[in-house]
Amino acid sequence: MSKFLALAMTVLLLSCSQMSNVEQQIFPYQSEVYDFPNGLRGVVVDSSYPNLIALYIVVQVGSRNEVEPGRSGFAHLFEHMMFRGTERFPSEKWEEIMQAAGAATNAYTTDDRTVYHAILAKEDLEQILELEADRFQNLKYSEEQFRTETRAVLSEYNKSFADPFRKLDEALRDTIYSEHTYKHTTMGYIADVEAMPEMYDYGLQFFDRYYRPEYTTVSIIGDVDFAQSKALIEKYWGGWEHGSYQADIPAEPAQEGPRRANVEFHAPTLPFTEIAYRGPAYDDEIIDSAVLDVISFQAFGENSPIYKKLVIEEQKVDAFFTDYPDHVDPYPFGIVARVKDPNDLDYVEAQILAEIESLKTTPIPAEELAAVKSHLRYQFALSMNSTGAIAGTLAHYLGLRRTPETVNKRYRLYDAVTPEDIQTVAQKYFKPEAQTIVRLGPVMDGMPAEEQ
Amino acid sequence: MSFRNFLLTSALALSLSHVAPAAETLLQPSESPLVSFRILFRTGAAADPKGKEGAASLAASMLSQGGTAKRTYDQIVEQMFPMAASVGSQVDKEMTVFSGTTHVENLEAYYSTLKEMLLEPGWREDDFRRLKDDAINFLRIGLRGNNEEELGKETLYLTIYGPEHPYGHHNSGNVSALEAMTIGDLKDFYGSNYRSDNVIIAISGGYPADFPARVKADFETLAADAPGPVELPAPTAAKKTAVHILQKDTRSTLLSIGFPIDVTRSHPDWPALKLMQSYFGQHRSSKSLLFQQIREIRGMNYGNYAYIEYFPRGMYQFQPDANLARRQQIFQIWIRPVQPENGPFALKIALYELDKLIREGISEEDFQATKLFLSKNVNLLTQTQDDQLGYSLDSQYYGTGEFNSWFKGQLDGLTREAVNKAIKDHLRATDLDVIVTTQDAQGFRRRILANDARPAYASPPAEAVRAEDLLIRNYKLDLGAIEIVPADHVFE
Repeated sequence: MSKFLALAMTVLLLSCSQMSNVEQQIFPYQSEVYDFPNGLRGVVVDSSYPNLIALYIVVQVGSRNEVEPGRSGFAHLFEHMMFRGTERFPSEKWEEIMQAAGAATNAYTTDDRTVYHAILAKEDLEQILELEADRFQNLKYSEEQFRTETRAVLSEYNKSFADPFRKLDEALRDTIYSEHTYKHTTMGYIADVEAMPEMYDYGLQFFDRYYRPEYTTVSIIGDVDFAQSKALIEKYWGGWEHGSYQADIPAEPAQEGPRRANVEFHAPTLPFTEIAYRGPAYDDEIIDSAVLDVISFQAFGENSPIYKKLVIEEQKVDAFFTDYPDHVDPYPFGIVARVKDPNDLDYVEAQILAEIESLKTTPIPAEELAAVKSHLRYQFALSMNSTGAIAGTLAHYLGLRRTPETVNKRYRLYDAVTPEDIQTVAQKYFKPEAQTIVRLGPVMDGMPAEEQ
Repeated sequence: MSFRNFLLTSALALSLSHVAPAAETLLQPSESPLVSFRILFRTGAAADPKGKEGAASLAASMLSQGGTAKRTYDQIVEQMFPMAASVGSQVDKEMTVFSGTTHVENLEAYYSTLKEMLLEPGWREDDFRRLKDDAINFLRIGLRGNNEEELGKETLYLTIYGPEHPYGHHNSGNVSALEAMTIGDLKDFYGSNYRSDNVIIAISGGYPADFPARVKADFETLAADAPGPVELPAPTAAKKTAVHILQKDTRSTLLSIGFPIDVTRSHPDWPALKLMQSYFGQHRSSKSLLFQQIREIRGMNYGNYAYIEYFPRGMYQFQPDANLARRQQIFQIWIRPVQPENGPFALKIALYELDKLIREGISEEDFQATKLFLSKNVNLLTQTQDDQLGYSLDSQYYGTGEFNSWFKGQLDGLTREAVNKAIKDHLRATDLDVIVTTQDAQGFRRRILANDARPAYASPPAEAVRAEDLLIRNYKLDLGAIEIVPADHVFE
C-alpha cells in the first residue's frame, strides 16, 4: 500500500472511531529518534514526498530564557547573529553554499524556541549539515558586526509598529505577568532593543549557555535514508560539547483578582477587547490544555453560536478569535474581538462573559463536540501537504517535547475530551480572580488613556 | 510511487452533448488523499466598471463568504466545519480564483457546496452589508492604518498606473465606490463576467475518474460569450525621479520604487530579467545584492528586495501566490523600514545600485551562481498540489510550458550577455516613481532637495564602506516633482 493511501486510511479510521484505544496515529510518518551521548537529539522523518529535505534545527531557547533585566529580545537578536559566520565558513561562504544548493533558509524565534530551517535537494544534505554544525559550534563575529546587526533588529521592531495586535499582545502580557519572562514579547521592550548595541559581551555568554547539544534537536524531514541521516548527524554534531547552564525561570504567582488595562493606539484602528484567563502550559498527558483548545473551536470558533451572533448576524464584530498558543510554561487563554463601534464594547464583552459562564454550567451538545474533533483531525491531515509543511508543524512540537510522539499523544487527548471535561476545565480556569481584560483603541469615550 | 503529476490540460475525452463553448479543465490526478480545486475565471479588478471599483472583489467575496440561494452563510459554515474545509477567493486584475482542498472522503459533500456557492449565489442583503464593511475596513484600517509596508507597495501601483488605467485602483476598490456599491452592481458584474467560456476548472489529487466530467458539465450551465479582456493603455512614464511622500505617524521611513516594464512571463526576456531580479533582490534572501549592501554591510534595516511581478503580502510569506498573472507588470524595489535619519541615504543607495547594475551588468561568477540557485530553487515553488495547480494555470495564461521544466530549460539556454542586454533594454534609474512613507515629510523633502544623504550608524563602518558611502551620497538623483500626501487620502 502506498504511503498516501496509508495516510488516507489513517484519517478514515480516526474519523469513524469511537475506539477507546486508538491505535492509528495522527502523525502517520515513519520516524526515528536518536539520542547522542552529548545530549543532542536527532529526529528523522520520512515525509513520503520525493526529492526534497527539510532540515529544522530546534533550539529550546527563546524569550522565556531572558531572565535578566534589560535583556528582553536577546534570544531573537542572537538568532540574527547566527548568520554572521565562522572562521571556516564566513557568512559570504555560508551564503554561497546555501545558494548553490538552491536552498530556502531562514530562522525564527518564539517565547520558547529558536528554529533554523532550510529546504534543499536531498543530494545536498551532507554539505548543509556540515555547514550548520559548524556555525552552531564555532560561531564567530566581531563587535562591529554585532552592533550593525542590532540596527537590523530595531528595524524589525519598527516594521510592525502600526500593527495593533502586537500592541495588544504586549499589553496583555505586561498586565498578566509580574515575575515570569512571558511578561515581555519575543521582540522585547523597545528600550532594551534600542540598548542592544552595547550588549556584545552578553552575546558571547548567551552562545556559551544555550547553543549546546542538550538544548538542540536536529530534525531531518523528507526523502530520507534513516541510517545515513543518523550517521551524518553523529559525524558533524557528535563532537559538540555538552554545556552546564540552566536558566532559573521564575514561576508566576497566582493571580488574586481581576485586572483591566486600557491602551491607547497611535494609528487608526477599530477598538479591540481581549478577555483572558490564566491557563495551563502545553501538555500531552494532562488533558486541560487540550480541552481549552477544543473550547476555543467549540465555543468561540467560526461555527460557534457567539461567532454567528456577533460577526454574521449582528455584525458588531468584524474579527473574533481565541489566542492560546502552546507554551512550555502556563500561558493565558484569550478571546479577542475587534468591534466596529466603540459603543458596543461593553455589550460584546458581556456576551463573551455570558458564554464563559454557560460553559461552566451547561454541558455542550455531544454533536458539537464531535464536529470539533472531526475538524481538528481534518485540519491536521489537510495541513500535511508538503515536506516543508510537515517539518514546520513538527518543529513546533519538537520545541515543546523533542519528539514527534507528542503529536500523537496530543491528538489522542483531543479525541478523549468529554462534555464533562469542558465543564470541569471551564470551572477550573475561567475564574473571576484569574481574569484580565485589555481594551485597545484610539482615544474615545470609555477608552481612557493607559492605566495599569 | 511517483508523486509527479500527469498534466492533462483540457485533454479529457468527454462525450458531452453541450453545444455551448466548453469550460476548460486542467487536471492533475495523483494518489493523494487530498483533492484541491482552483476554479479560475479570467476576469478581475481590471474589469471593474468606472465608478464601481471593487465590484470584482466584492462579488467574489459574496460567493466565497456569503450564503447561496438555498442556504445562509451560517449553514454553509456549519457544513464545512467538521471537514475543516473552506472556499477561498483571490481577485487580481485579470484573474479571479476560488480555491479549496478537501479530504477525498468528503469530496461529494465539499463539491456540492462549492458548486452551489459559485453557481447559485444568494446575493443576500445581510452578507452584503458585512462584506462591504469588511472591504472598507480592510482598505482604511487593515492596509492604510495597520500595514505601512503594504500601503507603500500598493500606493506605488496606484501612482504608476493612475486612476484612468484599468490597473489604477486597488484590487479591493476604493472607499467611495464601495460605499456607493449596490447588490445590483455585483449581480451585474457576476452576470457579465462569470461565464462558461472564461472559466478554467483545475483539480488535483485522488478524485474518482468520472469526477471532472461532472464538474465541467455543472460549470457549462453558465452562459457563454464572456467579454474579452479590457483594453490596456500603456502606462504613462513618470518624469525623472518623482517623489511622493506619504505622511504618517510612524517610527520609520519606508520606500517603494518602480516603473512599468514591457516584460511578462510571455516575453522572451522574462528569464533574463528573472535572473537579474534574483541576483539584485531575491525576495527574503540574504544573498542578494540589495540585502547585502543595505542590511548585511550597513545594518540599516531588515531587508531589501526587487520584483518583476506583482507580489502582494510579501511581509507574511516567502513564496509568491499563484494566479496573479497580468498583461502588464512593473519593476519594483522594496526598501523595508529604515531609521528616519537614513531615509535619504536609503533612496540614494537603491538608485545608485540600480544605476550601477544597468551600467556594469552582472559578472560571470554571479551569473553562474544565480543560475544554479534558480535552477534548484524552482522546485520549492510548487511543493503542494495546490501550488502545482496554481502554477499550471499561470503557465497556461502566459503560454509557457509547465513552469518548472520550462524555466529550467530557459535557464539552460541563458547567457550572461543576454541578461546584461535585457537589463539595459528594460531597466532604468530615472523616469520612475518613489513612494516614501514617513512622519517628517517636510524634513525628508528638505534633505533630498539639499542633497543631504548622510547615513547614521550604530558602529563606525569600515573604511571601504565609508568610501563607498561617499560615492553614494554624491550620486546625483535626477529629481522630478516632489509631493507630500497625507496617508489618509489613499484608497478614498
